[in-house]
Amino acid sequence: MVRLMRLNIDGMSVGVTNGGEDVRMTMTLEGDDSDVEHVARQLIKVIDVLEARTYSLQEVTARELALVRVDTQKVSLADLQKMQSCRIVDSSARSAVVEMVGSAVEIDEFISGLGAGVLDIARTGVTALPREVQT
Amino acid sequence: MPEKTSGARAIVEALEREKVEYIFGMPGGANLPFYDALWDSKIRHILVRHEQISAHMADAYGRVTGKAGVCSATSGPGATNLVTGVATAFADSSPVVAITGQVPKSMTGKSGFQETDVVGVLTPVTKYAFQPLSAAEIPAAVKKSFYIAETGRPGPVILDVPKDVQQEEAEITFPDSVEVRGYNPNQPVDPQDIERAADLLVKAQRPLLFGGGGIRISDASLEFKAVAELLLAPVITTLQGKGVFPEDHPLAVGPIGMHGRAEANKIVGECDVILAVGVRFSDRSTGDFGEFASDAKIIHVDADPTEFNKNKLVFLTIHGDANRALTMLLNALVRRISKRTEDNAWLARLRQIREEMMGIPAYKDSYAELSGPRIVKLMREILPGEAILTTGVGRHQMWCEIHYRVLQPRTWITSTGLGTMGFGLPAALGAKLAKPNVPVVDFDGDGSFMMTEQALGTAVEEKIPVVTIIMNDRSLGMVEQWQRMMYSRRYIGSRFQNVPDFVKLADSYGVQGTRVGSLAEFGNALREGIRADSPTLIEVPVSHEEDVFPFLPPGKGIKDTVHGTSKELSVF
Repeated sequence: MVRLMRLNIDGMSVGVTNGGEDVRMTMTLEGDDSDVEHVARQLIKVIDVLEARTYSLQEVTARELALVRVDTQKVSLADLQKMQSCRIVDSSARSAVVEMVGSAVEIDEFISGLGAGVLDIARTGVTALPREVQT
Repeated sequence: MPEKTSGARAIVEALEREKVEYIFGMPGGANLPFYDALWDSKIRHILVRHEQISAHMADAYGRVTGKAGVCSATSGPGATNLVTGVATAFADSSPVVAITGQVPKSMTGKSGFQETDVVGVLTPVTKYAFQPLSAAEIPAAVKKSFYIAETGRPGPVILDVPKDVQQEEAEITFPDSVEVRGYNPNQPVDPQDIERAADLLVKAQRPLLFGGGGIRISDASLEFKAVAELLLAPVITTLQGKGVFPEDHPLAVGPIGMHGRAEANKIVGECDVILAVGVRFSDRSTGDFGEFASDAKIIHVDADPTEFNKNKLVFLTIHGDANRALTMLLNALVRRISKRTEDNAWLARLRQIREEMMGIPAYKDSYAELSGPRIVKLMREILPGEAILTTGVGRHQMWCEIHYRVLQPRTWITSTGLGTMGFGLPAALGAKLAKPNVPVVDFDGDGSFMMTEQALGTAVEEKIPVVTIIMNDRSLGMVEQWQRMMYSRRYIGSRFQNVPDFVKLADSYGVQGTRVGSLAEFGNALREGIRADSPTLIEVPVSHEEDVFPFLPPGKGIKDTVHGTSKELSVF
């Protein structure tokens, strides 16, 4: 369906939900609003899909996890330890892996802030839940 | 006490429990265990010479009966040969269960002999795909296949069974009922929507009813007619919907669209409220979406809510089964109005439009004696109302759209969504097996016929007496028409230098064949053909320069329908 509408998948996260009965899939799609909306509406026709809808970023709380391998000769371990936004989860003599959770934009900024220190990146893609309704 | 039985026997028994009468198919290495189990069954296997034919036969069986037709093929090329037929059924919402053999589970991914990812290939053109991985899973998988194929908006389902699963012996139990999570086909109709629709329709000055294939699927023709007659609303249909409203009824205006009736294309632009039932607003019906009925309020009744506002934004949607919705609507209307007078301005306008269109070249042109319009009209005079007509795809099919009046539902069996050449003869065979007591005629073109002509062999050996008519213009006629009208006569790939002598071809299969030279000869051949107890073939040589009009060029608004011309049209 996504391929049929020629949309790019910028990110996709999948995980179990509903006590392991079901799977929740969150896709970040790049394309015209109407095409993305079309995909969501047609996906409901797929029998295994219980529910499908589109959200704008304002309508959800969205988070992504990134693991970044950093060259500690370019960005020192001490500097990494001082950063509020990330946590060191692995290290060796020459590099370390940090973990960061945030919005996609925050992660983009964090990674570009590390500059040439970045050796490798693994991102999960965004997952999201609708915002709480304030009554 | 469940006994041990093989997966293959479990498939057969599950099919018997679904009251399957026929399986159209071809055995091969990966489904031999299934075929061996079939040997003991009362289910009649119909052997084809190409699996595409088996899928079309199952499709037509499904369109005529509402029960899923069953086709079977082996793995690899057997399954891939089904794709065109399955896609045809998918595009026209026809119930089919396709059973394919698959390589043993241990061979998965080793590019074994005749291994193909059939589930992957067919997923985009099926409602669902099952691949049972143990014999015990089979009964539920079969039952769910039929449930999904036949309910809601029907469609094809594939059941892909690895060979070792067919051979596995296990204790098998057959469920009495199944549920499919995420699938709720029987949504009740919202009575408030019905009330709103009824209010709109009684206030309408120029109401129009628009019927499609969904009315056939839902068996809602009587209810649809009752609504039309109460409102005294003219009725238009889609191509697929021909016959959901009897085309000899005074309110019947005909099909709209690319080769619709000129009166139908005209009146749709003048109505103020349209009740559209079981249609999907295909571009072939509507022309340019924005321009279609732009001044009218559209009420859209459909079993598939994903069709609402997909192509055309409508005023009011009613989700549910057409029969149910129309019954409720009829009651709501009866509460509001009583018999209307036929002496009203809108029906007078309909009469005026009909008179205006009577003289257009498309209707008045002196067609040759052996030509689409004249042959088709004579065919209608000869065939009884309950006769089933199937077609291929091309100009011959369009002549039927314009000039053949379909009188009863489920007697017009044609591929419209996918437009599959080669559908005609296999569909006639499937339809005849479904309804052995009515005449069944395949009205075909030479190009379409040649795609599945080997079905003649099946017709003879299974004694299925259909009449095949070939309108032979020795061309891909519709392609030639487009090249003539829109590509400055740059003909390429649209003429057959070589076509077989169809009469000799028929004879070589043991089919009685005739080539006719006059309308009278055609009439006689057809009369004899429908009385015969073996298949017959009638070849009608026709001119390749006879173009089909009216014509609504692609991308144009419906008011730009061309009524017939010998001039070249501009490139669209």
